[in-house]
Amino acid sequence: MLQFLIRRLSGAVVIMFLIGAFTFFLFYTIPQDFAQLSCGKNCSPENIAVIRENLGLDKPITTQFWEFMMGIVSGRDFPQGHCAAPCLGVSFDSGDFVWDSIMDRFPLTLSLTLGGLVIFLLFGLGTGLLAAWKRGTAVDKVVSGSSMVLSSFQIYFLGPIVLSLLVYNTGWLENPKYVSFTDDPGGWFMGMLIPWAVMATIFTAQYTRMARSTMIEQLQEEHVRTARAKGMRQRYVFFRYAWRGSLIPIVTIIGMDLSALLSGAVVTEFTFDLAGIGRLAVEGSLTKDLPLTMGVMLFGAFFILILNIVVDLAYAYIDPRVRLA
Amino acid sequence: MKPIRTRTVRAIAVAITAGSLALTGCSSDSGKDSGKDNSKSKDDAAAQSTPVAYGDAQASNGPAEAVAGAKTGGTINVYQQSDLTHMDPGQIYVSDAGQFANLVHRGLTNFQEDDKGNLTVVGDVATDSGKSSEGGKTWTYTLKDGIKDEDGNVITSADVRHTIERQYAKFIFDGPTYVQNWLSGAEYRKALPDGPYKGKHLPDSVLETPDAKTVVFHFKTAQPDLPQALAMAGYAIVPEKQDTKEKYDKAPASLGPYKVSEYKAGKSVTLVKNTEWDPKTDSVRHQYVDGYNFSNTIDQASQTKRLLADQGEAKNAIQFTDSVDPAQLSTVIGNAAAKKRTIQGYQPYVWQLSYNLDSAKMKDKKVRDAITYAIPNQSMVQADGGRYGGEVAGGLMAPTLPGFDPKYDPFGKLKKPNGDPAKAKALLKEAGFKQGTKLSYAYSNTPRGQAQMLIIKDALNKLGFDVQAKEIDRATFYEQVGKLKNPYDLYMTGWGQDWPSPGTVITPVYDGTQVADGSPNYSHIDDKQVNALIQKAVTQEPEEAAKTWEQAHHRIVEEINPGAPVYYSKQIQLYGSNIGGARYSTESSYIDINDLYLKKP
Repeated sequence: MLQFLIRRLSGAVVIMFLIGAFTFFLFYTIPQDFAQLSCGKNCSPENIAVIRENLGLDKPITTQFWEFMMGIVSGRDFPQGHCAAPCLGVSFDSGDFVWDSIMDRFPLTLSLTLGGLVIFLLFGLGTGLLAAWKRGTAVDKVVSGSSMVLSSFQIYFLGPIVLSLLVYNTGWLENPKYVSFTDDPGGWFMGMLIPWAVMATIFTAQYTRMARSTMIEQLQEEHVRTARAKGMRQRYVFFRYAWRGSLIPIVTIIGMDLSALLSGAVVTEFTFDLAGIGRLAVEGSLTKDLPLTMGVMLFGAFFILILNIVVDLAYAYIDPRVRLA
Repeated sequence: MKPIRTRTVRAIAVAITAGSLALTGCSSDSGKDSGKDNSKSKDDAAAQSTPVAYGDAQASNGPAEAVAGAKTGGTINVYQQSDLTHMDPGQIYVSDAGQFANLVHRGLTNFQEDDKGNLTVVGDVATDSGKSSEGGKTWTYTLKDGIKDEDGNVITSADVRHTIERQYAKFIFDGPTYVQNWLSGAEYRKALPDGPYKGKHLPDSVLETPDAKTVVFHFKTAQPDLPQALAMAGYAIVPEKQDTKEKYDKAPASLGPYKVSEYKAGKSVTLVKNTEWDPKTDSVRHQYVDGYNFSNTIDQASQTKRLLADQGEAKNAIQFTDSVDPAQLSTVIGNAAAKKRTIQGYQPYVWQLSYNLDSAKMKDKKVRDAITYAIPNQSMVQADGGRYGGEVAGGLMAPTLPGFDPKYDPFGKLKKPNGDPAKAKALLKEAGFKQGTKLSYAYSNTPRGQAQMLIIKDALNKLGFDVQAKEIDRATFYEQVGKLKNPYDLYMTGWGQDWPSPGTVITPVYDGTQVADGSPNYSHIDDKQVNALIQKAVTQEPEEAAKTWEQAHHRIVEEINPGAPVYYSKQIQLYGSNIGGARYSTESSYIDINDLYLKKP
């Protein structure tokens, strides 16, 4: 187990370094002058030179890369002050420490992700299991049909409709907004309710379909049939045998969805005017803000790699035949 | 200010949202309104084209004239699609931060606007708009009593000197450079490379502070526009004791009626009352509401939807520098209740089709004139929101500039707003034009840019050109066309005044001595006569200068034609039903931020 963890974490560090290097050098293949891009109205050659120096762009690219990567390990000093490790540099656009910007946006992303996750796992897996249990009945048909319809919806379609219904036309709810859970738990819940509901509706439909199909598949497996033949109770067979077997593909998908959401739910954030990691990523990319883009990329990569390891650990827990070697 | 350019970079992220992708190209404002312009724009323009007056001590004394029916209390919600570009005055040059600055910062002078929109420069922390001597080469300012920063520190002449000198430091690079250039020349940074931070100062022969209340500027040439330049947010006071250099941009000290209580980068700003602000010292601002809550993540489409619905907190909300979403414009105009909650007017920008005069294909004036005649200006306006988004331009000076002549129309655009292809073809024939000549047209990949590209391509292809449209990422558009050796023949560019003087347009955009990489002289025009007229005008008193600027303008448009005038930019903003005192400001070209209150606090 420990050996497995050490090996996977070492691999993750190497992958993070490669992602950083790839992003950094790829950015410099774009034929543009970041200093001129940051230059204001009075964009004289003198001002461009000053900005280039301020941003550290007057140094060789390899030096810039090395300083960036070393900053992650040991921190860096900037005119704005000391940027403690893991320092991801200073945004070209805002002048803020990138790590601080990410940490500032992360609580919203975490709230959005975890709140949505709870809802769509409860409802998605619940309705999926129900449909599998009642396979072929009217319940199954209603659940399958509605999940088919809902899973074809998109957040940017459903979101504005829900906002029109609950906010703009009736005034029943306020516009979504993020307030810290520790400051105002009620405000936090009400502010995130619509984004959670919309996001969960679409994910719920997908998880319903997945849970139903994997369960039905499992229920047809020989070991499940054998259990039934032994006279075990239907409920016991359903949850102890079939459910456990269907968990592996579900956990895999949860891991992928979770890492994607923690890296930034771009469409959800833009649809509901929320400022999370997703918006930060788009801002960095579109304003050609190299440190910000690098920072968000590495932050997202971190979650993908860590959650991959967690999913692998979960496999071993779910299925004892899997060995962590 | 340079919103046409700057909005690109920050606002781009917002266009990602589904709602805003449709926008301008297919927007229509063919609602129930008649063709009449009900926006009061013409009246506003009349006020804007009146020369700015310089106010005396009486005009500069506070408190500001009370707004009829104004109540105190409550908080105004501000909708913005992106973060404030800057909060450090030295870095402020664009509209959003300029509007913000009027709430938080104070400079030596400020613009005072009467109920008809007429502007007077008055003393802000100074007792008047300034006293000039030596033919305008020397300007003396005396500070008012009782001006304090948010911590109660009294503002002295040392703080004013510090404010000017810190503009020489390298970390200040985004703000205006007029005063520094006038004091120390184009390479002003060399005069004080570290700013005032290592104990060095500008000599008294340049900037003098004989006592704690007096500041004297000494220029090499007359600078009659100094009171207006000093009214720019970029020259607002940064108290020496409060200056934290780079960090100041995130936590500035206030001298104005409001101070920053919380700033969350990229998300929000909260302003509360500055109790050290004394209304008796301020003839422009009020402090009716308790504070402002800025939400800086609400895109244009969402702002419009929220304000149209006018539910809950949106009743107390305003658009700050964003406009109504063009895709929802017809809904706003068609809704009588919502339309009452709009402010409309000209923006200071003129969109022009700039010709790259370094391109061999653009050297012949007859070819440039032919293209200018052929452009269907009205269609270009339609692609930018219709009559609420713009108006066909006859010249290159905006209606917001003193001396604007609404009848000036050398290319007959007001009579033939969709162009005169016959005249264009005749001119091309005279020029010996070859059919199929390739023209490289650069455009920004915004919905508006894409729609306008199709219009220009169609119009010029009909003349026999072969237009090669080159799409440029919106974030880098001005960087690309701002390069001296850019590979394009023509491109749409926009520019707006820094204060109501043609000098802040003609000098940066048409002065041949300022042709350089990154310079806004996008056509690379370098005409000796124009350059000489600019040199003459910048040292003249406003009335005299107005004639010289007009002469320069006519020379540029009629005899050189570096860019086809296409349209004057306009805007329309919405505000919530509980907002009182909302009106269009001829100074900012946006909602007047100084007079707002809540009807039911």
